[in-house]
Amino acid sequence: MNKEQFLAAVKVKIAGLPQSDIEKSLGYYEEMIDDHMEDGLTEEQSVEMMGTVDEVATQILMDTPLSKLVKVKVQPSRAWRVWEILLLILGSPIWLSLLLAALVLLVSVYIVIWSVVIALYAVNVSVAAAGIAGIAGSIILTCTGNYIQALLFLGGGLFCAGIAILLFFAFNQVAAGILKLSRWIILWVKSWFIGKGRTK
Amino acid sequence: MDIQLKRGLLDVCVLAAIKNEDSYGYQIIKDIKPYVTISESTLYPILRRLEASEQLTVYSVEHNGRLRKYYHITQAGRDRIAAFAEEWKEVMLIYQYVIREETNHE
Repeated sequence: MNKEQFLAAVKVKIAGLPQSDIEKSLGYYEEMIDDHMEDGLTEEQSVEMMGTVDEVATQILMDTPLSKLVKVKVQPSRAWRVWEILLLILGSPIWLSLLLAALVLLVSVYIVIWSVVIALYAVNVSVAAAGIAGIAGSIILTCTGNYIQALLFLGGGLFCAGIAILLFFAFNQVAAGILKLSRWIILWVKSWFIGKGRTK
Repeated sequence: MDIQLKRGLLDVCVLAAIKNEDSYGYQIIKDIKPYVTISESTLYPILRRLEASEQLTVYSVEHNGRLRKYYHITQAGRDRIAAFAEEWKEVMLIYQYVIREETNHE
């Protein structure tokens, strides 16, 4: 593939991005290819050094913020025809409510997941509170002379306190894991957008 | 090298390549090649990110009838390098600890 073909092929795959983004990316690769050729490689070899058209296009798109990618997908490849616009308006009760439902569903899934995390921490707090209550109770019981019961309360209180500490570290890991998962999901959504764009 | 580790190092590497003098894309790749290999398509997003976070600026210079983009490090970029250097002092201590020879046990 020669330089012009390569750049044209990449341009097709990133069409829909803002014009300035397209010009910057293509400019970078054209300059890179020219520099390789100055170093002594042939045009074919220089183009090969860039990677495949798919790799290059994917890198450019992956680095684009999700909002710009959504614009790429929504961008019509040609001007709307009158009947298409009409259909869009007439069908809006359907597709608009479906879209809203989908968005609300996504948000509620997110809320549910984080409520679980909050619940876990609430459990943690209550176990810790039981621990404190047990230790406090044992002190009171010691003062009133119920030594055996005081010992019982102390043991139970310390046990709860220990469990609370362990749970704290465990739940921190869970929260961190969920944070990682949501980042991974956003990345997956991005690549889904890019994949869909390619089949167009 | 571990991929995660490499990714964290590439940004600072690129900044270091333009630390003492402005440079252009292909030259940057050649400069850091002895230390870490980076492909042309990997460098591009790095340069874009660094520009977006204002750790470098870009300007064009005419070269053989075409325009070549040069990259210039900013103070923010230098601060990033300094932070990296500080962080890795700790890493060096850990490294010394990890590779220490076994001591004779009584």
